[in-house]
Amino acid sequence: MNELNFGYQDPAPDRITFEEWDDLFQKIPDQLIEKFHYFPPNTEAWSKYLFPPQVFAIYGARHLRRLKFDNSLAALRLWGFVNNESERLFRARQSGRKVIAVMGDLGPLAVLVNAFPGCVPFYPDCWWWTPFAMESDVLLDTAARLGIGEATCYSRAALGAFAKHSYFPDPDLIFAATGASCDDYSGVESLVARMTGNCLWIETPLRLPDDTEALVNLLVSEYRRAVSALEDLTRIRLTESMLAKSVQRANEVRRLTARLRRLAYQDAVLPALEMMLVEFGCLHYYSDISEWTEILRHLTATAEYRRQTSQPVNNPDALRLAWLTPPADPLLLTLIEDRGARVVATEYVINQALTLLDESVPGLTAIALSHLNGSLNGTTAERAALLISAAQAHQAEGLVISGILGGSHCAMESRLIAEIVKKKLTMPVLEFDVAPPHPEIDRSTRTRIDAFLELLRSRRCRKF
Amino acid sequence: MPEILNPRERFSLLVIDEPQDRVPVFPLLTSAAAPLAGVPLRDYYTDGITMAKCQLRAQERFQTDFISIFSEVGIIAEALGSEYRYPEADLPVLNQPLWQDLEQAQRSLDRLQTAIPALPDRNFGRLGVYLDAINYAYQAIADRVPVLAYVPAPFTTAQQLVEPESLLIGLVENPDAVQRLLTLATRAVIAFSRAVIRAGALPILVDPLASGSVLSPEHYRQFALPYEQQVINFWHRYDLDVVLHICGATSGIIGIMPETGADLLSIDQIELDCALNTVGTRVRLIGNFDTTTLWLARPGEIESRVTEMVIKGKTAPRGYVCATGCEVPIATPPENLAAFVRAGKIAGEYEFPPGRKRSR
Repeated sequence: MNELNFGYQDPAPDRITFEEWDDLFQKIPDQLIEKFHYFPPNTEAWSKYLFPPQVFAIYGARHLRRLKFDNSLAALRLWGFVNNESERLFRARQSGRKVIAVMGDLGPLAVLVNAFPGCVPFYPDCWWWTPFAMESDVLLDTAARLGIGEATCYSRAALGAFAKHSYFPDPDLIFAATGASCDDYSGVESLVARMTGNCLWIETPLRLPDDTEALVNLLVSEYRRAVSALEDLTRIRLTESMLAKSVQRANEVRRLTARLRRLAYQDAVLPALEMMLVEFGCLHYYSDISEWTEILRHLTATAEYRRQTSQPVNNPDALRLAWLTPPADPLLLTLIEDRGARVVATEYVINQALTLLDESVPGLTAIALSHLNGSLNGTTAERAALLISAAQAHQAEGLVISGILGGSHCAMESRLIAEIVKKKLTMPVLEFDVAPPHPEIDRSTRTRIDAFLELLRSRRCRKF
Repeated sequence: MPEILNPRERFSLLVIDEPQDRVPVFPLLTSAAAPLAGVPLRDYYTDGITMAKCQLRAQERFQTDFISIFSEVGIIAEALGSEYRYPEADLPVLNQPLWQDLEQAQRSLDRLQTAIPALPDRNFGRLGVYLDAINYAYQAIADRVPVLAYVPAPFTTAQQLVEPESLLIGLVENPDAVQRLLTLATRAVIAFSRAVIRAGALPILVDPLASGSVLSPEHYRQFALPYEQQVINFWHRYDLDVVLHICGATSGIIGIMPETGADLLSIDQIELDCALNTVGTRVRLIGNFDTTTLWLARPGEIESRVTEMVIKGKTAPRGYVCATGCEVPIATPPENLAAFVRAGKIAGEYEFPPGRKRSR
C-alpha cells in the first residue's frame, strides 16, 4: 500500500484517457480533494488543485482530451498542480508574494530567487507548451505581431504571454540570461525587455573546460547583480544560510527527480509524459517548491510501490528510446507509448537543472557550477555525450530527436548529435521537426515514427 | 485594432479576481442565434451541429464573450419522460408532463430514480444535441471563447415533470413529496451536467422557475436553494466557476442566492444597485439589461442605457459581466444587439494592464 495515498487504493497501473480519468475521479474521496493545497500551509479554497484533466480542458487546454495519463493519485496530483500554475502565479501576487520571471538559463537562477522569502520564480520559457496544450495559435500570433514569427522556436509563445498580461502576472522583476544559450530565446528576451522595462540581463558564458574558475567568477559576479536587484525589491538582505537552505531544497527536488528517472526509465513504472513534467519541475518547481517536493515524494512512493509489486505502467520490454530535446507537442509521447515503445533516456536541454548542486561551496558558486553543467552552454559533442551516457545506461535502442522548426539549437545541433550518436552507438536515429499546434500529430511524422519503430523491432528480432 | 485579451483570457482573469481589459459582454444569446443565421428554430434545437454553427456565427458577428449552448429548460424533463412537441418556428412546447400530479409521481419515483444513469449517453433525451453542439463549438473556438452550456436546475426541471399547478400546491400541502421529486430531479441534473462537463463546456445552472415571480423567498430557500446547492457542490468538486442564472424577479432572494455557493450570479429584474449593495462583495455579478428594451428600443437608446448600467456594474468589487437579464428575444433586431455589445465594450473598459493608460 502506498502510504502517501492516504488510504486511497490506486487501480492497477495504466495509461488512461481523459474520459477514463473522469470516471476514476468520481471515486476520489472528497477528503483528498480538500487535502492538497498549494502554498502550504495555506488552506484557502482557491489553492486546491486535485482536479482531473477535463477541468483544464474546459478552460481551454484542448489537447488534454487527446493525451493519455497515468492513473495514479500521485499523477492526478501532478497534473492538477502543473495545469494550475498560471492561476497559482496570480494567487502568489494576490497573497503578497513577489513574482520573479527567470528566463533563458533554465534552472540555476531559480535557486537564487527561491532563497528570498516570499519570492516565487517562474520560467516564462515554459509557456512554449501552451499553444500545444490549447491547440491554439493565439500566443504565437501575438508574438508574430510583435516581430517574432514562425522562423523562430515555439518558445516565442512566452513573448505572446507577456504581451497578454493574462497568463501570468506582470513580474516584479525579470532576469534574462543570454550569451551561450538559445539564440531564438535571446531574441524573445530582448523584446520582452523592451516591452516590460524591468529586465536585468545575466551573461551566461560558453563552457570552456580549462577556464572553470574564471567562468565561475564571471557567473558569480553576474549573480551578485541579481542578488542586489532582489534585495532592493524585497528589502531583505541575502545571507549565506538563506542561500544554503535554498540549495538544499533544490537538491532535494533534484534527488527525487533523479530517483524517479531511474525508476521510470529502468523499471517502466511511470509514463514518459508524466516524466517530462517531472524533469521540467526542476526548473522552478512549478512556482511552489514546498508542494512540488511533496508531489515528487508522492510520485516516488507510487513508483517504488509499483516496482516492488512488479506492476509497471508500460511493458518493460517495449522498444527503448532515447529522446533529445523536449517535444513541444506532448501528444508525441502518448503516441510512441501507444505504439509500443517507451522512453528510457532524455536530454531535454535542462541538464543544468538536474545535476546536484555542490553543498560544500558558497551558494553562488554552487549555482554557477550548476549552470556550467548546462546542456546548451557547452559544445555539441558534450551534449551528445550526455545523451549517449544516458542511452547506454538504459540500453536505448533508438534515438528520437524532436526538433523545432526555426529553433537555433535544433537546426544547428540536431544533425550533428544524430551523427555522433549513430557513430558511437550504431543506433538508428529519427529526426523530425514538431509541427505547429494541431489536434493531431501530422500524418508524415506519424508515418515516420511508425516506420522507425518498425525498424527497431526488426533490429531486435535480428539480434535474437 | 485588436483587443488585448480574447474572451477566454478575459474570463480567466475575471474568475480569479484579476483586472481585465474590459468587462466581458454577454447578451444571453441563445435561440435567437437561429433566426440571425436564417435557420428555423426547430433545426436549431434538434440538431447540435446546427446549434453550434448558429452560435459561432453569432459570436463572430457580434464578437460576444461566450458561446451559449441552450434551447429551453425542458431538456432534462424530456429526457426523463415528459413529452414535448417541436414547432418549426418556436421552441419546444411541453405537451404533457411525465406525471399529472404529485401522487402519480410518488408512485414511480423510485423506479425512475434507479433508471437515471450516472453518466447518461447521447440518447438521454436531446442530450445528444447538446453534446454535438458542445463538441463542434469546442473544437472550433474553445481556445479563445468559453463554451457555456445551460443546465436547467432541479426546481425548474421538476416543474416540467409534474403539472405545474399540482407542484405549486404541493409546496404547501405536500412538501415531502415535492422534496422527493426534487431529489430525483437533482440526480438527473447532476448526471446531465456530468456529460456536459465531459464534453468540454462550462455548465451554467439556470433556474428561471425558482424566481421571485414564482416562488416566495421562503419557498425558494426550502425548495430551490438546497438543490441548486447540491448541483453546485458537484461542480465545485471539479473546481468549476459556477454561474447561477435566475431570471425574473430576484429582489426577495438576492441576499440568500450566494448561499448556493455560486461564484457568479446572473440576475434579471432587480435594481443593479440593490444587487451590488447586497451581494457585490461576495460574488461576481452578471446582468441585467431589460430584454424588452433590447427588443423594442432604438439602438441609440440601448447604447445609452447599457452605458449607464455598465458604469454601475463596473463598481462591483468582485467583478461584473455586462449581460442581458434573460435570453435575448428571438425577434431582436441585429442592430440592437450590436448596439448592446458596442456600448458594453466601450463603457466596460478598464485601465489595462492596471497602471497603464491605453491609447485609443
